[in-house]
Amino acid sequence: MLEVQNLMVFFENALALNDFGMEVREGQVVGVIGSNSAGKTTLMNTLSGLIIDMRIKEKRRGGERITVYGKVLFKGEDITKTRPSERVKKGIVLCRERHPIFPESDVSQNLQMAGYLRKRSEIRETVKEVFDLFPALIPLKSRKAGFMSGGEQQMLAVGMALVARPQLLLLDEPLLGLSPMMQHLLVDAIKGLKAKSGITVVISEQFARPVLPMIDFGYIIENGMLTLTGTGSELMDNPEVKAAYFGI
Amino acid sequence: MKRRKERIDRGVKARSADIFALTSYREMLYLLIPGAIPVVGLLCFTPILSDYWREVMISTAVYALLAMSWDMLMCAGLLSLGQSLFFGIGSYLAGSLNYYAGLPPILTMPIATIGGGVLCTVLLLPVLRLRGVYFAMVTLVLPLMLSRLVEATRILGGTEGLTGLTPFPNQLTALFVIQLALLAVLFGFRRIMGSDYGLVIKGISDNDRSVMSAGLNIYWYKTQVLFLGACVGCFAGAFGTHMDMFAGMPGFALDYSLMPVASAVVGGTGTFAGPLIGAFILVPLSEMLRALGALRIVFYGLFLVIFVVGLPEGIFAYVQRKYQQRERWVDIS
Repeated sequence: MLEVQNLMVFFENALALNDFGMEVREGQVVGVIGSNSAGKTTLMNTLSGLIIDMRIKEKRRGGERITVYGKVLFKGEDITKTRPSERVKKGIVLCRERHPIFPESDVSQNLQMAGYLRKRSEIRETVKEVFDLFPALIPLKSRKAGFMSGGEQQMLAVGMALVARPQLLLLDEPLLGLSPMMQHLLVDAIKGLKAKSGITVVISEQFARPVLPMIDFGYIIENGMLTLTGTGSELMDNPEVKAAYFGI
Repeated sequence: MKRRKERIDRGVKARSADIFALTSYREMLYLLIPGAIPVVGLLCFTPILSDYWREVMISTAVYALLAMSWDMLMCAGLLSLGQSLFFGIGSYLAGSLNYYAGLPPILTMPIATIGGGVLCTVLLLPVLRLRGVYFAMVTLVLPLMLSRLVEATRILGGTEGLTGLTPFPNQLTALFVIQLALLAVLFGFRRIMGSDYGLVIKGISDNDRSVMSAGLNIYWYKTQVLFLGACVGCFAGAFGTHMDMFAGMPGFALDYSLMPVASAVVGGTGTFAGPLIGAFILVPLSEMLRALGALRIVFYGLFLVIFVVGLPEGIFAYVQRKYQQRERWVDIS
């Protein structure tokens, strides 16, 4: 479904992603695991096309020059130069890190805005699905999103990405700043999502422990370089992964 | 072959940051030339101009002072659209001291500078907690309000203004006074912003809550910055009054608010040298376009749009980057 070939991203003279390649098959949950500054967010921004926008803005400001080489293929089609809004229409939706929500609007307004591209009836349906997925959000329906806790905002952010009806859902550090209990809740929700609607998910995360058991295939990156690949259980049994991410 | 453009510091920049700066003429010159350009340009070049262009240079310098005062406020995150408040208050203070008390310019200007700075700071103190567009709105309204107040109550000469004030002995004196002040403010403000104190100021505009968490009272710092900016603006007003031998409602005119902002945008904000360059481009340009009459506003607007869209970082930041860094193509395997 998604293929990344020889991706190289430079921020001025710093190499954020070095010759990175990955493949995502339909219906899979793929994990991209790496520590801080490994290049996870850069990868997500490149997949969703946000990097194109960043490049233009930085160039106009005379700031850092962003250079992207390599190819991103979605269903066999080269989308490397496609703008983010077009990619959303094709079915690639990114949920950015640190739960970006509209703080001045309430929960149901947030969800409606996220589904702006869809028909009214479809929105109603998917909003209901989101509330099924995250029952904790139901009592907060009319609460201003900016006043909710981090975990609630994260659930809302994932929900907003879902309302756009993605074929490929990109989750950038969905567990960031959540308690183990909240992490567990979110991981369960993602598992349920996969079982129910069979959408394809790419998760980037630095907490390997909750993520590795649920993924079909994983990529481990360090300093922008691919160091290990394998299925979730393969990676969990790998002694290096154990040492680096489980502290064993 | 895949290539990308690389930006690296020039060798001379890296060397001149080191002990080489003291031992090699080349590195010494590299460090000194940027600072010498405004000094030599202002003090040696402007006096040889014709009377008319000297006059233009003087009014340019007044706008440049206002632009740098705007930039100082901007450094602390205070977006001001009312530099004419400072100009007008400085102008009226110096004017009335000269008109009613008969003080000479050598006394009225310092008093108006400090007194006006205090007065403006006190006036804006209640709105110092507002940020961004709210602060901007209040500063935009205050000068308009004050000019109506003068008109309605007929104090300080009302709509006529105070006329027949003491002028400077001659044009050259005025030119040197304003240009020395300009250089002092330019290098002074750049020095302030380069120090630890400047770091706190930049921090306030970047993330004021983090500065509060560091145990600093941001309102006290903002007050100080406001006072500095207001003093410079009031000096420009006091100088303008003695230059024109007149203090009146035009001191609160919108020109004095908008031209500094435009200059800072064209030159590059946050650098002080940027607003100076911007003023020295825009004011003479608008003077040259005077022959076009009403049409000059069109050209003027066009020029601004081109700069805002084409070079948002400003002229100074662009030139500085070219001076310090070079670009080259490198292959990536």
